[in-house]
Amino acid sequence: MRQYLTGLCLLALVFCAGSAAMAKTIFPYKVHTEVLPNGLKVVMIPMEAPGLVAYYSVVRTGSRDEVEPGKSGFAHFFEHMMFRGTKKFPGAVYDSIVTSIGASANAFTSDDITAYHLNFAVEDLEKVIDIESDRFQNLHYEQSEFQTEAGAIYGEYRKSITSPFSVLDEKVRDVAFDVHTYKHTTIGFERDIKAMPEAFEYSHSFFRRFYRPENVVLLIVGDIQPGRVMKLITKYYSGWQPGYEAPKVLPEPPQSAERTAEVSYAGKTLPIIDIAYKGDAFNPKNRSYVAAVMLGELAFGSTSDLYKQLYIKEQRVDVLDASIAMNRDMPLFEIVARVKNEDDLPAVRDEVYAAIASFQSAPVDPQRLANAKKRRTYGFLMNLDTPNKVAGNLAITLAITGGSDAINEYYTEIDNVTPDDIMNAARHYFVPERRTVVVLKGARQ
Amino acid sequence: MKTMTLLATLALAPCVSPLILGGVAVKAETPVLLPVKNDPTICFRIWFKVGSQNDPQGKEGLANITAAMLTDASTRINKYETIIDKLYPLAAAYDAATSVEMTVVYGRVHRDNLKAYYPLFIDAITAPAFEQSDLDRIKSEVLNNLENTLRYSSDEELGKAVLYSGIFAGTPYGHITAGTVAGVKSISLDDVRNFYKTHFTRENFVIGLGGGYSAALLASLKKDLGTLPAAGAAGPAAPNPAMPDGWHVTIVEKDAPAAAISMGFPIKALRGSKDWYALAVANSWLGEHRNSSSHLYQVIREARGLNYGDYSYIEHYPRGGMHSKPPQNVCRRQQIFEIWIRPVPLETGHFALRAALREFKSLVENGLTQEEFALTRSFLRKYVLHYAPTTMERLGYALDDSFYKIEGGHLARFRSMMDKLTLDDVNSAVRKYWQFGGMRIAIVTKDAAALRDALVADAPSPITYKTPKPESVLAEDREIAVFPVKVSPENVTVVPVTEIFK
Repeated sequence: MRQYLTGLCLLALVFCAGSAAMAKTIFPYKVHTEVLPNGLKVVMIPMEAPGLVAYYSVVRTGSRDEVEPGKSGFAHFFEHMMFRGTKKFPGAVYDSIVTSIGASANAFTSDDITAYHLNFAVEDLEKVIDIESDRFQNLHYEQSEFQTEAGAIYGEYRKSITSPFSVLDEKVRDVAFDVHTYKHTTIGFERDIKAMPEAFEYSHSFFRRFYRPENVVLLIVGDIQPGRVMKLITKYYSGWQPGYEAPKVLPEPPQSAERTAEVSYAGKTLPIIDIAYKGDAFNPKNRSYVAAVMLGELAFGSTSDLYKQLYIKEQRVDVLDASIAMNRDMPLFEIVARVKNEDDLPAVRDEVYAAIASFQSAPVDPQRLANAKKRRTYGFLMNLDTPNKVAGNLAITLAITGGSDAINEYYTEIDNVTPDDIMNAARHYFVPERRTVVVLKGARQ
Repeated sequence: MKTMTLLATLALAPCVSPLILGGVAVKAETPVLLPVKNDPTICFRIWFKVGSQNDPQGKEGLANITAAMLTDASTRINKYETIIDKLYPLAAAYDAATSVEMTVVYGRVHRDNLKAYYPLFIDAITAPAFEQSDLDRIKSEVLNNLENTLRYSSDEELGKAVLYSGIFAGTPYGHITAGTVAGVKSISLDDVRNFYKTHFTRENFVIGLGGGYSAALLASLKKDLGTLPAAGAAGPAAPNPAMPDGWHVTIVEKDAPAAAISMGFPIKALRGSKDWYALAVANSWLGEHRNSSSHLYQVIREARGLNYGDYSYIEHYPRGGMHSKPPQNVCRRQQIFEIWIRPVPLETGHFALRAALREFKSLVENGLTQEEFALTRSFLRKYVLHYAPTTMERLGYALDDSFYKIEGGHLARFRSMMDKLTLDDVNSAVRKYWQFGGMRIAIVTKDAAALRDALVADAPSPITYKTPKPESVLAEDREIAVFPVKVSPENVTVVPVTEIFK
């Protein structure tokens, strides 16, 4: 009980430090980083969580790295194959070990990363390191298993594509990007998913090129002693041979004019408009990027004039949201609105443009910006109360930047953002020549 | 030792204060407290003993909308947009969750911000404005959810809703919490006001408070909630649905890309009883939620690649696609056993149904083996530790303990029961509560008529694969393809998707 409380107590002390100073060291836990000679980076964060450990193996490869034609969705497919086992621990044995220790285990893939995570009792740490290190070095599966798993991927696609937002996301990416791999969603084009069973040989090359120690970060959080953990990591991972081959991801050429498209959804839905702008890669020290994050909240979040007008007063939309993506390469900064009356689509679109114009022409109220900073800080810290939440919050920034300093740098930069920075970000990113507008309408009304 | 500490946390945390629920049976009005002295945050869960079971006939959805009119709308003190502005810098919010029997208004705030947060939170409950513009907005969203989202954008959720409605037809559980299209459309401000006065009363709530709160805060809550309206109406009796006699199938016809299947029947076992934990072991083996240890998952996904996952349940588990661990505060006095087959290719719907039922029949008739029993209880003993890692979740479980009157708490009992149960306990519970041969089945699919005919004829449903499969799988497939699930013609209903939730 007491140990559990200490972690939260630490959190309390951080809050007490005061907001301005707090941002310099927002992350409340001490981070221990070690790198094995083979390049494997190990980030350990002890926190008082009685007996619990979160163990993340973060591969710095996602759907961004699917550069070969016809292979979209492969990073995600490979995530599934990683559960098929090795000669030492075949899939069924791996499963039975995870089951016997009562671990909560899963994985996810995004544009930029593939993360495998287990939450378990610390007494099972060595067992987990044993099975995890083994599958990352010695994955083995038969062709029939590979082909069967492709069916599960298709099932995942089918269950998701009934959502109009999935259909819209596919279309927006396809229209906005010409050559960069962000053109496809993480699950991939349907035609490529259908062809997955034929890619058995390719899957071996995927493992050989990307599942290498210098492309992986281990993130271990919870009731741990870093010295002991490193002894085990050294024992089990040192034999892993380096050999990462970085894919040649083509940079997206500058966009010169607005793009527009319409997509039909097979079911019935209110129409949705997605207004997407080419942004910048995540860089915690890039003031423009960080200001854009704040702009997204201030211009389109729940306290924005536009939200109050369109959602609360006029009730012309039932969804209005902005997403300023955190990506390794140039992503889309998106504003999405679901509109109650199809005839209202042009007017809602123009209201979004007008809101952007207002932020381009005048600095935001400093008090609103201060409120947004305060919200970000408290929101972040309140979500660090379990090992899994700490690891989950860090995994993407760690993978994108390769380092554990990014979080502190990011929040420091947020604290430094001025109203003029917000105005400059609005002028820099939210311009027609960076814009793609896609409207989704239901086929049934 | 470390693990013991963790276990002790679960077991002991609710015993710090004599007021705390879990140690002894308590009156419903006793606050449920979970003090975590140095937690810098404070968690609120105010439980009102009202849910969709209390919706008046013709006003289905009223409990859900009334709750939303508390937390997503203006109060007599602040307009809704002002509330949003005030909450924003606090990084705090509050919301309401309505289920069949419970409505919980919940929120979490850092103690630095409590002073600004508390009046907003308490006003939401005690001083709602009930303005027409808020009701219009909320109704519009609920109707969009019923008419568009549920009917078209998630066939899995649609199938589950149809299953629940079928099992509990004619009872207060017989409609989903969101209600019906006609019911929601008919709801007026007067309906909301009357429902609030009747059910959000000072005799009908339980305070749930956790984290780093003070005694003064608890006193304020008691005093302020004491201003709620006086006693209202009692709730309905628990439903007592009949066990399905034979296979009863509802096929929802729509232009679906895949077939989504949910099936089940009512069970009497409730959390807290020995039988429930015994059944939980069998259920975990058969279909642990979002877990590859699920036997159904192994058979349908892992060996055959037909879908994304296959699970089973002995408690209500709403929005299972969004969560990997059980939700809190969705308690009910009548539960169902449920099998969830995630969407499979259209041409394999009949086959997948048979495959799942064949495994279920085998379990009902043969029970678990000693090895399966040992592995599953070993899994559960530790896996439940992941159910409630946060104060908010533990507070949710503490309220559930109040609902089910579980001394010592459900999670602690869950673990201790894993040490006490025997294989015979588990297999006896299976035989007592599960049956093969009678079940309600909901299938969302294309070409409903063809599937209906095949079910009625009990026609073989052979499966072919585009890629090779081991002979062991193919041999089993031949048995599955003719596994008898004969449905009487009068027990099959085909419903166009546009008719659902009307």
